[in-house]
Parts: sequence; structure tokens; C-alpha cells
Amino acid sequence: MNETLKLALILFLITAISATVLAVSNNITAPRIAEADKLKDKQAKIEILPEGKEFRPLDENKLNEIKTNFDNVLEIFEAYNGNDLVGYTIKTVVNGYGGEIEFLTGISTEGKIMGIKILNHGETPGLGDNATKPAFTESFKNRSVDGEITASKNPSGDLEVQALTSATRTTNAILDGVNIARQIYNEELAK
Amino acid sequence: MKLSKIFKNGIINENPIFVQLIGMCSVLAVTTSAKNGLAMGLAVTGVLICSNVVISLLRKVIPDKIRIPAFIVVIATFVTIVEMFMKAYTQDLYNELGIFIPLIVVNCIILARAEAFASKNNVLASAVDGLGMGLGYTLALLILGSLREILGAGSIFGKALFGPNFEPALIFIMPPGAFILLGILIAIFNSIRKKKESTTEA
Repeated sequence: MNETLKLALILFLITAISATVLAVSNNITAPRIAEADKLKDKQAKIEILPEGKEFRPLDENKLNEIKTNFDNVLEIFEAYNGNDLVGYTIKTVVNGYGGEIEFLTGISTEGKIMGIKILNHGETPGLGDNATKPAFTESFKNRSVDGEITASKNPSGDLEVQALTSATRTTNAILDGVNIARQIYNEELAK
Repeated sequence: MKLSKIFKNGIINENPIFVQLIGMCSVLAVTTSAKNGLAMGLAVTGVLICSNVVISLLRKVIPDKIRIPAFIVVIATFVTIVEMFMKAYTQDLYNELGIFIPLIVVNCIILARAEAFASKNNVLASAVDGLGMGLGYTLALLILGSLREILGAGSIFGKALFGPNFEPALIFIMPPGAFILLGILIAIFNSIRKKKESTTEA
């Protein structure tokens, strides 16, 4: 047999077997991955808006209208407890130090920020990625949406949150997103 | 060669990080904490054992001319499987290690062991070689990750070690700290190794 053909055939066999193995393991893991993603998504929403029992996407026309004014917005969900609307979760994407940061802000219908949750980021490990830790995210809780939120090393007053050490760009990016969410709530959702 | 010697070879005499200095890129990047170092080490160990076994089984089937592409296919398959299972069962860990899991494919340790060992030895020896090299790699990552976490963040496996007034040396979490500490560790490891060698010879 032609040697080139033989080599090609052996390589083809090896790749064919490996493709089969991969297809099988994909079949095993794909449902688990989808389920884990879905669960994580719902848990993130509950974490920042504990009153919400059910989350429904905002009316699509309205969302598109908001998106034309605020292009950092990805998703908005309405949170319900029974038939009562208790708040909104707003997913925004902002530019941090290491690329885009995707995170959720939860705002209650009483006009309070209930929490933030960072979903995807590329911030510096040990510095910017401290933004995902409670010391930072908890400081956003129960802030009013009436005025612009700022950060400081020694926060005081209702509108100042804890700044991250050596990660000013990350802090500012999150503040941007939170303030956008706040504006959307005030200008579009609370009407 | 005796199996125990092959095993010891991977951990000490030919430790992939401290002695062979291969696969350094991901070592420097993922060792920001002890947990990340350990997880990456175990992922590489798993892939290394599996790929060594399969390549050793196929060593008489794979013609010499196409051995490199054949090795890469085998390695990539196992890395993808590890990636899928980590994503399904340990998603938080997967998110932390991120791009470095798929990049195990191009980690030179794995191809180096396939080429230098598994393609020339039987299945059992190859599996032991994979285990030894993998654990040697894991050990290096665990030491480096622990030291960087203790010095740079004041904690170990996420638990704070010192009081709230401790000011960690941030540089050790950053890339320069990885280079500095790795250099020091390599120096210490090799000076101990050399001393032992000279005493056994004498």
C-alpha cells in the first residue's frame, strides 16, 4: 500500500476514535453543564434580591428601548414574590482593568440597591478580583438609588462604598455599572 | 528500570518544574493561591497519566513519521474531557483556572513525557512515570502557590493566617513575585539535590 495513504489512514483512525470518545463525554456532561449554568444564574439573582421568588425577563420592547439609551445593559429581569413586583436585576457590562466585567445589580421597588454579583471578569488575581468578595459587594447593600454612588477607603454616609485597595480601575468600573443600573431604575423602570 | 525509581525520578531527580524547567508559563500564572496550584497540578497529573497510558498502548501502532500529531490528538482528547468534567462538576474551580485548562494541551511536560518515555516503555512503567511527573509538578505548584498566598495575601487555602493589621506584600500575588519566588525555590531545591548527590557518590 502507498505509504502516505497508510499514514493518513492511521491518523484518521486515531482522530475518529478520539472524536467518538469526546462525543460520549460531551453527552454525559452537557446536561450537567447547562443545569449548573442555569442554577448559577438563578442563585446569583436570589443572592442579590432575596425577596424575589421568581424572575421573569423584562418586556422585550422596553428592554430594547432602554438598550438604545444605555448600551452597557445586557439583561433586565423583574423579580416577583407571588404577584407582587419586588425589584429588578440589571445585568451590565463595564470595562475594568483586565477587560470586560459582567455583573448583576439588584434594585428593590423601594429604590434601594439590594446587592451586586460579579459574573465574569478578567481582573488581576489578588487585587481587582477582590471585587467578587463580600467585603466589597456587601458594602453596596441598602444604598439609596437617589444619588451617585462613590467609593472611598474610609466610607462614610449613605452614598459611599468601600474602595478596593490597589484596584482603582476595577472599583470605578463597578461603580459605573451600578450607577448606570441606578439611572435605568430611576429613569425607566420606576416610572 | 524499577518502578519506584521511575516514580522518584519524576518527583525529585527530574522534577519537571525545579529541574527540567518545562511548562513554566502556566506555573507562573495559576499559582496565585494554594488552591489554584493544587487544582491545576491534579488536572495535569490526570491528563499525564491517561495520555502516557494510551500512548504507551499505541506505541507499536503509531508510525514514527506521524507520532507528534498522533500524540497531540491523544493529549487534546484527554484535556477536553477533563475540561468538560470540571465545567460540569466543579464550575467555580473551572472559572478560576480559566484558559489554563485548555492550555494543558500545549504544556510541554505532557508532550515531553509522551516522546521521551511513554513511546518507548510499557504501560505500567508509563503510568508510574505519569504519576511521578504529575505529582512532582503538583508539589512544585502547591509550594509556590502556598508561599505566594501566605506572603501576598496573608492566607492559606483562603483562610486568613494573621491578624487584620497584617499588611501583605502584594508583589507576591503579581507576576514579578512569581518569578522571584520560583527562582529562589529552584535555587534551594537544586542545592539540596546537589548536596545529596555528592554525599551518595562519596
